[in-house]
Parts: sequence; structure tokens; C-alpha cells
Amino acid sequence: MAQRAVWLISHEPGTPLRGTVRFSRRYPTVEKRARVFNRASYVPIPEDGPFLKALLFELRLLDDDKDFVESRDSCSRINKTSIYGLLVGGEELWPVVAFLKNDMIYACVPLVEQTLSPRPPLISVSGVSQGFELLYGIQDFLYSGQKNDNELNTKLSQLPDLLLQACPFGTVLDANLQNSLDNTNFASVTQPQKQPAWKPGTYKGKPQVSISITEKVKSMQYDKQGVADTWQVVGTVTCKCDLEGIMPNVTISLSLPTNGSPLQDILVHPCVTSLDSAILTSSSIDAMDDSAFSGPYKFPFTPPLESFNLCYYTSQVPVPPILGFYQMKEEEVQLRITINLKLHESVKNNFEFCEAHIPFFNRGPITHLEYKTSFGQLEVFREKSLLIWIIGQKFPKSMEISLSGTVTFGAKNHEKQPFDPICVGETAYLKLHFRILDYTLTGCYADQHSVQVFASGKPKISAYRKLISSDYYIWNSKAPAPVTYGSLLL
Amino acid sequence: MGPLSRDVWAQRLGAFRASPSAFMAGPEAEDLGRDLLGDLRSEKLSEQTKVSLLALSLEYPAQLWPDASAAEVAATSLLDTLVLLPPRPSALRRPLLLAATTALAVGGALGPTSGASCRLLPLLLGLAAGSDLGRGFVPASEQRPLQATACECLRELESCKPGLLGGSLGLLRGLLGQEGPVQPLSLLLSLALRNTLVLQSRAGAGLGALLTARVSPTGGGPWDWTLVEEGDGRLQPQAPSWPVAEEGEGERSLTAREHSPEEARELRAAVAQLLDTSYLLTPVAQAQLLWLLGWALRGLQGQPPALFKPQLVRLLGTAQLTLLHAVLALKAAFGEALFTAQDETLLLRRLTLAAQHPALPLSTHLFYLHCLLSFPENCPLGPEGEEAAPLLLGPQLCRGLLPSLLHEPMALLARLHLLCLLCAEDEEEEEKGQLPSPGHYLEELLAGLWQRAALEGGPRALATLCFQGSYLVAHCLAGQPTVLTPLIHGLAQLYRARPMLAPHFVDLLDHVDPELREPLKVVLRQEVVSRPGRDEALCWHLQMLARVADGDAQSATLNFLRAAAAHCTSWDLQQGLLQVCRALLRAGVGGGLVDLLQVLARQLEDPDGRDHARLYYILLAHLAGPKLGVALGPSLAAPALASSLVAENQGFVAALMVQEAPALIRLSVGSHEVKGPLPVLQLLPEALEPIYSLELRFRVEGQLYAPLGAVRVPYLCPGRPARPLLLPLQPRRPAPTRLDVHALYTTSTGLTCHVHLPPLFVNFADLFLPFPQPPEGAGLGFFEELWDSCLPEGAESRVWCPLGPQGLEGLVSRHLEPFVVVAQPPTSYYVAIHLPPDSKLLLRLEAALADGVPVALRTDDWAVLPLVGDYLRGLAAAV
Repeated sequence: MAQRAVWLISHEPGTPLRGTVRFSRRYPTVEKRARVFNRASYVPIPEDGPFLKALLFELRLLDDDKDFVESRDSCSRINKTSIYGLLVGGEELWPVVAFLKNDMIYACVPLVEQTLSPRPPLISVSGVSQGFELLYGIQDFLYSGQKNDNELNTKLSQLPDLLLQACPFGTVLDANLQNSLDNTNFASVTQPQKQPAWKPGTYKGKPQVSISITEKVKSMQYDKQGVADTWQVVGTVTCKCDLEGIMPNVTISLSLPTNGSPLQDILVHPCVTSLDSAILTSSSIDAMDDSAFSGPYKFPFTPPLESFNLCYYTSQVPVPPILGFYQMKEEEVQLRITINLKLHESVKNNFEFCEAHIPFFNRGPITHLEYKTSFGQLEVFREKSLLIWIIGQKFPKSMEISLSGTVTFGAKNHEKQPFDPICVGETAYLKLHFRILDYTLTGCYADQHSVQVFASGKPKISAYRKLISSDYYIWNSKAPAPVTYGSLLL
Repeated sequence: MGPLSRDVWAQRLGAFRASPSAFMAGPEAEDLGRDLLGDLRSEKLSEQTKVSLLALSLEYPAQLWPDASAAEVAATSLLDTLVLLPPRPSALRRPLLLAATTALAVGGALGPTSGASCRLLPLLLGLAAGSDLGRGFVPASEQRPLQATACECLRELESCKPGLLGGSLGLLRGLLGQEGPVQPLSLLLSLALRNTLVLQSRAGAGLGALLTARVSPTGGGPWDWTLVEEGDGRLQPQAPSWPVAEEGEGERSLTAREHSPEEARELRAAVAQLLDTSYLLTPVAQAQLLWLLGWALRGLQGQPPALFKPQLVRLLGTAQLTLLHAVLALKAAFGEALFTAQDETLLLRRLTLAAQHPALPLSTHLFYLHCLLSFPENCPLGPEGEEAAPLLLGPQLCRGLLPSLLHEPMALLARLHLLCLLCAEDEEEEEKGQLPSPGHYLEELLAGLWQRAALEGGPRALATLCFQGSYLVAHCLAGQPTVLTPLIHGLAQLYRARPMLAPHFVDLLDHVDPELREPLKVVLRQEVVSRPGRDEALCWHLQMLARVADGDAQSATLNFLRAAAAHCTSWDLQQGLLQVCRALLRAGVGGGLVDLLQVLARQLEDPDGRDHARLYYILLAHLAGPKLGVALGPSLAAPALASSLVAENQGFVAALMVQEAPALIRLSVGSHEVKGPLPVLQLLPEALEPIYSLELRFRVEGQLYAPLGAVRVPYLCPGRPARPLLLPLQPRRPAPTRLDVHALYTTSTGLTCHVHLPPLFVNFADLFLPFPQPPEGAGLGFFEELWDSCLPEGAESRVWCPLGPQGLEGLVSRHLEPFVVVAQPPTSYYVAIHLPPDSKLLLRLEAALADGVPVALRTDDWAVLPLVGDYLRGLAAAV
């Protein structure tokens, strides 16, 4: 269950080493156990330098892939998880949990409490999920509210102390490092008994509960025979409960309007104390029918101090909010494009912003453009080979807008224009970016009156909603486009 | 030396952390541990600096205090520092406790005889129990955090010495029930409980008493060195880390000890107590608790796992990786006893949706996907240990988990694997429904992968991904022609589009099963040889052909090579060309290749290329098939990363050059036989392995003998006695000598080996030859004539020859029989010996006494006198 060592490595392409170890921590008592448990298959934890090199090579971050290297490129070296074997000093260090996020590599080596040869299946190693959770916790801590490098450096400098709290001997006590930070701050408060370990102190002040529902809608539209368009809503309900008492109880109910789309695939925060079986079983895996559970979705919980994600859900709304088609044709030296977008009438026509990004990959800079649009403005980023159609806050009354034109490109500069393996030839997409406040596509809302709080004082309850686009693609219908298995289900 | 300043320490710690091994090899290494302990008490250093010193000791105790005694001293010093802290809040108490614990545990000093252990353990237990340790030892504000830290330290010690806290179970339970901090006590108790249950099943101590007693029933303190001893004081994997419900009897016996109803009730109560408050623990700690209790209760009779049931619904709803993983561990541990078929379905569905939930990160998805394919089913069908789709996971459930070209490489491969597993099932069941066929989807996906890999200018990662995908498909669906045929076709097209991927193709051919390899080789060869031989990608074609060329389609291959030869102007192209020739040589292609090699040996511009071509030509002309195969075969001696040229070179060295090898033969000298005009050494060879074409070469030290000819044996087999080999000697002087022996032979693998054997000794007596036998009755006259002829040039002497129990008669018959000219047994013998090249030695052995015989001797070569003396004196001892 324990970790033998933890690293944070910043990925720095272009520098001689391609990375720097920003933080590392070893756990010698765990290492001692590893030596006993792993017996002949024991491989010691390397020093930072060799580890960095081996990890960057394994993650293909050394950007020297001009030649075929068997130990990296062989067809039989297949990695299907973020858990690697690193070649260090002729021996293979395994399992190394590692992932790259925001140019930072998070890595740890969990203890395996048995011999490593034959390799036990990963599912049997309890330290693997513990390691992941620790790394996610560090990642959350580093990037929550962090805006610049200075703040990142400050947080990195706090890590040794925080891990001394959260993981003193290699066994993770709390993956939420913010709690450890608060713990130090709350240290002077004498904690009463039965204080949850995930709640380092108690709140003192005006009671208030804030609930915000953010829905992201993603879509793949092809406008093609035999390929179905797909779209999906992913919701996140975030809460911040400022309530007095050690363990105040709160129940939040999410409701749908009569024609709302049922919530599915609901995952809840561990502080939720019980779940209706209908919530547990409602899943997008099943074919939809009218009998689907449509709420209200009740979540009784004891809130932690900080803001947290009460639950995630997905939903299958009947139509995508914006339906579009995109046609692109290569005509001798130029591309002819035609775009049509239609906002569904049921969707709130009041955007914070709405834009269509039309990128042209594997081509040179835009040298010439002629276009005609029924609505909005077009911005041209010549060097980036990108057009941005700014639609603005509202669709016109007709709810339908169009853009057509021709684009000409200069010679391609391989340095400046990164290679895109998907958008080759006429395969192309446009991507919609929009945001609508005080609105959810499913209709899901948290009724302020249905929020039950069992704590002293009547809290102020506030609720927010918004809809954001995410991965909203409309593919050129005149060329092949990558499809998912789901698109073939007609 | 006074305390170091903050800056000096910062610099020193920085240097250490940059490379501990380099630092420890340097001059400052020795003092580091001592300075650190000393400066912790310095009043000049800030607490923050001291914390950083302690942090170092937490990470590198083995470097600072490398042995048990140093660790003991360090722990004592750390404890002293702790006690000496002034009674006000300090940031040092926590890290000091952690550091003392680490030093003892890592240094191997923890034990009943260690003074530091005997101080630390009561201190930790006192802190954990929240007892008043007096004299303001713990300021009120630090009480709570130190209580938790003490629990953590105890847990770490229990982890390193399982059973240590076996006597404290009751105490810990009591604390958990009262005022203690829930998480540290819960984790400590569950670990101690788990370890006790495992050890106690061996030791037989009463569990009930342990669980209820407030002080140790074994006496001598609440820590239990006896249990530690019974655990051999060593860490044992106490259970397979993956608790499997169905297991062998041997494993089960570990925990199969039956408990009395009372004990069982106490145990159930303790577990229920832990589980009831588990929601107060952080998610990671909850998961640890579940793993530990799952381990503890697995296989225990009278402990229904239903205790866990109330927790499951809550756990199944969360998105936490650790919690779902712990549920899977419970599933594996208890199987049907905890999860009904419906529960199993629900768990599988939650896992399936978690493996694709858009709110979770990619690495979580991938781990869940792995869990799905290793899912601990109630009724598993497939072979254990191999990834497989669970029975309940049909295409309907999986449809969101199938790959698409938009996925990241790892996700694509993981999902592709699942798709392959579905295709394998699909083939068996042929049950379609409304879903599109997975096989068809697989084909489209592969086509997309090949298309992307074929893109001009695409990164190598795309090609690698494409070949990994192809390999995965070939590996999972090897037996399905409906998959393999399009696979071969697609790969051939890919090669046509982008020959520079040749190294990937070669790698793929090296890894796939023959079902794919053989047909793919044929297709790829056709791809190459159907080209004009004049191509920008010629180097790739040659690399490809070197892998796929064999005895088939010889003429097309040779035509291609002939055409290509004209364009092989650079060194690397010529080497590529020769590599193909080499492959053809190995495949046993003769005829046309001879012509080609001759042409190449003349035409190639590069002298190295010409030499190689000539060498191949000579090999082809002179070596028989099997030897040629060995000569050109891959060398085992070549390191894996060496270039093909180096490998080839080593191959030659191995096969054509003579190898220095350990001796596979032994050689001894047989009995002396007197025949013919020259002394002959009889050699007895003995082989340890079958060897062929053995040639023994001899060299005489000095110039005493004429050079010796080699002896040849065609075949030697171990266990089968060989005929003795006769080595005629041509002495130039009648003197003993030493022969230096070298052996050359061929092993059954075709390697020619050379070995220097131990030297052989030619003794003085080995040179003895008889004179021609005189006619009957003329012996005495003949002897006297020889006797007289020795003087005056020669020498005369008398030597005492000791006699053994055999007496004179025995001695003569054993050693001198062939040379006796006149015999009057048992008292008198006249012996005449011819010593090649042309000396004589005459002996008169007469008037023997009980213990010896005086020997009168004459020789015409006075130089042999000392040899004769030694010989005669040694005869009695010689057997």
C-alpha cells in the first residue's frame, strides 16, 4: 500500500536534459520492506539523475525519435496503462506510476508486497491506486488557483512539509494536500473527538451553501450517410458549504424539468453518505427508454471544508444545441469552404460568447481569403492558418447562420506548422466554443428550497448554472473523418 | 568544530541531494551523520533548518548511519534531542519522532535488546494513548498531532516487524472507542489485527484475550517480541497481495485456524467497530482499511464477509480510484460470499462506466480498463493470469470502450486490445444483433492506423503506434484468417507507401507468430523485388530484403539485386546489398548467387565491400551448407545493441575463426610399449562432449627432440573408449622432456575451438628401446661385447637400487623385461637398453640383498648417468 518514492519532474523541451527533478522524496522504511518482499527481483530506487533520464525516454519525451530504437519503438513494447517499467542500470524498475500533465511529470513507485517475477497483475497491487491518488492530490494542490510560475514555485517549496504530514512514511494518509496545509493552520485548535480525518477544522462564520452546476457539451457531427452524429453532456456539481459544527448534514437534490434529460453515469464524492439504487444504476451503457429514472437526485452528505465536486454525471440530450455542417473542397490552389450553423430552438439564445474556430492543418500560412457571412465577424490568423468566426451573444431570429468563402495558402513551413496526423488532405473540422450562463442543457437545477441543512442557523443558499462547449467538432462532410464505434450505431 | 551555519548546511544538503552516491564518496561523507545529530541541538540554527536536516535523515538514514550500531546511536541521540526540547510548541517534535523511528527501522536496530527501541516504544505508545508524559513534555496544542504521529510511527514499526503490537490490540481498541483520533488508530489497529491473525494462526495465541486485554497478556510490555520472533523476525509476504478467494490448501492453512465462538464474536465486534467509523477516514485511508480487513478476514471461518456489505453501496457510487480498487480486492477475496451475481453485474457496470467517464483523467480510465480485463469473476472461465474480457462484458456493454483514431496512443492500444478480445468472441459466437460487427470495425480502424503511419513526414510515434496495433491484433487473433488476410494486405500497402518503415517491419516479423510471419514475408518480398531496383528508398528495400529473402523466388530476388548493384554507390548501400547476399547464403541459395558475388567482388567501388563479396564467394565455394549456416548465423556473442556489421563480424569470429574454449577433452599417457625403431608415446584421449576433427599439436621444450607431427582423430564421443593414439618421438638427446599440447576441434554446433591442454611428460624410461635380440645362447657374449665397447669414452658407475616387497624378479619383470639379454632368475640379470638416437645403457643386477640390489652400469653417454641413477632409485617406489 505504500510508496517507495515520489517525484515531480518538469518537462522542459529544448533544454539539454529535457527536464528537471523539481521534487523527490524517498521512503527508506518502505524500501527496506521492498528488498524483503521482492527478494531476488528487487531493483533499488535509482538516484534522481538516472531516473529522470530513464523516465523521459520511456515517455518518449527526449524528442530524438529520428531513428528506430528497439527498446522504445518495438511493436511488442505495448503500454496500456500509465504504469511503466524503466530500464535503469541494466535492471527494470517496475511498477513506475507516471503521467504528464501541464508540462509536469508526476511519478511514484508503489511497493509490491511479493516477488516481482513473475510480475503480478497490476490490479493486485494496492499501492498502484494509492500512488495515483497521491499524484492526483499533488497535481490538484499545485494547480488549484495557481496562476503563474511564482505561485507554482511557492507551492513546490511547500511540498516537503506537506508530504511530511500527508505521507510521512510512504503510506498516504490524505491525498488532499490542502487538508494537510489547513491541518498545520488549524493545529492550535483542539480538535473534538470523532472529527473526520478529511476535515481538518471547523468553520466559524455566517452559514452559506453554494451549488454550481457546470455542464460541458461535446459533439461530433459528420453530416454523412451511414455515420451518426454524436453528442453528450457531462455535468459537474460543485459545492462549497460554510456551515458550523463538526459534522453538519446536508442533502442537495438535483431536479429536472418535465421534459429534461435523465442524468446518468453518476459518480459521487466520498462524503456522500448514501445513494439511491436508481442513481447507482442509471447508466448510459443501457439503451434509453421512458422508464429511466428522472430524479429528483438526492445526495445526502457531510461536507468537507473546501469547495468540492459533489458529483459528476453524463446525459444524452435529444438534440445537439447547435447543429452544423461544414463542407470543404480543394479547388486547384484554393480551398472552398461552406459552413452552416443552426441553434436549436429549445436552447437559450443568450451566449456569454460563441465562436467557430476553423483551423487548416498541414498547410502554409493563409495568403488570401474571400468570404461572405450572414452573421458575425471573421478574424483571420494568417500565420496560424486559422479563421475564427465570432458569432457573438445571440443567433439571429432565424437561428441559422452561414459562412462561405475561398482560402489560399502559402508554402508550408515545417518548423512553424506542426504536423497533424488526423487532418490530412481534405479531412478537416471546425470547432465550436461557446458558453451560456444560468443554463443547463439537461435542464438540471438545484432547487434552493429542496436543500436541507441540519446545522445551526439558516444558511444562505446560492445556486449557479452554466453550459460550456468542449470538444465540439463539426467535420468536413466531403472527406473521410475519424469515427467512433458509437457513430456507427444507427 | 562548532555548528555549521544555515548556508553551509543548505549547500551541503543541496550537494548531497544532487547525488547521494557522489557525496558519500567524497571527503565530507564521514562527518555528515555526526554533524547532523550534533547540530540538531545547536541553538544557532533555526527550527526550519533543523527540520530540513531531519528531512534528510528521513530519506537517507542508510547513508548517514549505515549499520545497526550507528543507527542505535543516532536514534538515541534523536530521542535525547527530543527530551531536551524546551516545553513550548516546536516544529521539531514530529519530525524527531519520525526520524528516530526511521533510523531504528532502517538500520535494523529495532529489537528487545536495543536501548533506543526500549525508550522509543513506550514513548510512542504513551503518546498514542494520550497519556500524560509529565514535565510539560507535550504542549497542549501539540497533543493531538503528536498522538497521530505516534500512531503512524507505531504503524511503520508494525509494518517492518509484523506482530510487534500483537499485545496491544485491546489497548488500541479501547483508545479507538474513546477519545483517540479515528484515522491513525483505525489504521494502526487494522494493521496490527491483520498481522496478529496471520502470525497467531501459526503461534496459537488466544485472540480473544488479545482483543480485550488492556495490557499485554504476555507480560513484559505491550509490545510482543515473541510474536515478532515467531514471524521469524522477518517480513514475509503474509498473503499474496491479491487475496484470491479460491486457493490451494497450503495457503488456506495459514489463516484457517478456528476461533472459539467468543473469539469470533470479539473479532467481529472489532472489525465492525473499524468499519462503522470508516467514513471518518480519508478515501485513501478507507481503502487501506478495506484491503487490510479483507486480508485479515479472508478464509477465516465463522467470519461472514457480510460485515463489509453496508459499506459497498456507498463505495460503488464514488469516483475514487482507491475505493473502487479496494472493492475489487474485496471481490477477489470473498467472491460469491460477498457479491451475488447481481452485485457482480453492478460492479462490472460501474467499472465499465468509470473506465470511460469523461470526468475522470486518462490514467484512471486506463487503470480501470486493466481492472476490467483482470476482473475477479465469481466463475472465471479462461486461464488465470491472462487478460480477458469478463463473461458478462458483452459488445453492448463495451461499445463506449472501443478505440478510435482520436484516442491517445495508450488509450488506443488498451481499447484495441479489448476490441480484439471481443472479435475473438464474436468469431466464436457469431451473434450479431443490431450492433455493427467488431471485426468490421477493427478492419476500418487498422486501415486508419496504416494510413496515418503512411503519411509523409509523420512522427515516428505514429508508425510505432501503428505497428504496436498490428502486433496486438496479430497476437490476439492469430488463428483468424479473416483478420490476418487484410492485415497482411494492409501492411504490404503501408510498405509500398513508406518503405522507410522497414525497421518497423523487420521488428514486427521478429515478434509475430509464424501464422502471420511467413505469408507477410512472401508479400513483402514481392513488394521489394517487383521494383526496378533503382529507387530513393533502395537502402530500406535492401534492409527489408535482408530479413525476408530466403530460398523462394530466387531468380526474382537475384534479378532485383543485380539491378540494384549498379546503384549501390555508397558504402552503406553496398553493405545493405551484401547483407541480402548474406541472407541468401544462409538460406542456401547457390547458383545465381555465385555469379552475383563474383560480379560484386570485382565491381563494387568500396574495397571493404569488395572484400566482403569475395569472402562470401569463397565461403559459398568452400563451405558445406550446415557450416555456412553456422558461419553466417547470428552470433550469441554479439551484444544486443551492436550494429549488424559488428554482429556479422562476431558471427565470423565465432564460426570461422578459432575459438578459445574450455577444454572438452582430456589427454593422458598410457603404458609404455616397446615397438619399432622409435620410442612411441601412447596417448589416451577422452572427450566430454562429442567433438569432430580433433587435431593434437605438440611442441617439445628446447631442441631435445625433432619436431613432432600432429595427431588427428575424426570423431570422439564421450563414454565411448577411443583407440590409443601413438605419438612417435625422435629424441636428439636421450633425455626426458615436457610436451606442450594444443588441441583444435569442431563442436557439434560447428564452431572450431582451440584449447591449450595441460603438458604431457616424457619420462626417461619412455625412451628405452631394446637391442635386436641376439641368437639363442649368444646373449652373454653380445652383452659383454656391448659392455666393453662403452669404455673408455663412456662412463661406469654403481648404483644402489632399493627393492620393494616384490624382490628383484618382480622389479625386473615389471620394468625391464623387454631389455633383459641374460637372465639367471632370480639372482642375476644383464640388461641392455638402446637410448635413441644412438646411446646405450647396460645394467648388471646381481647379488640382491633383502632390501636392494647393487647395480653395475655402463653407458657410452656419460650425460645420462644422473638420469639412470634417479631412474633406478625410483623403481622400487614406482608401481
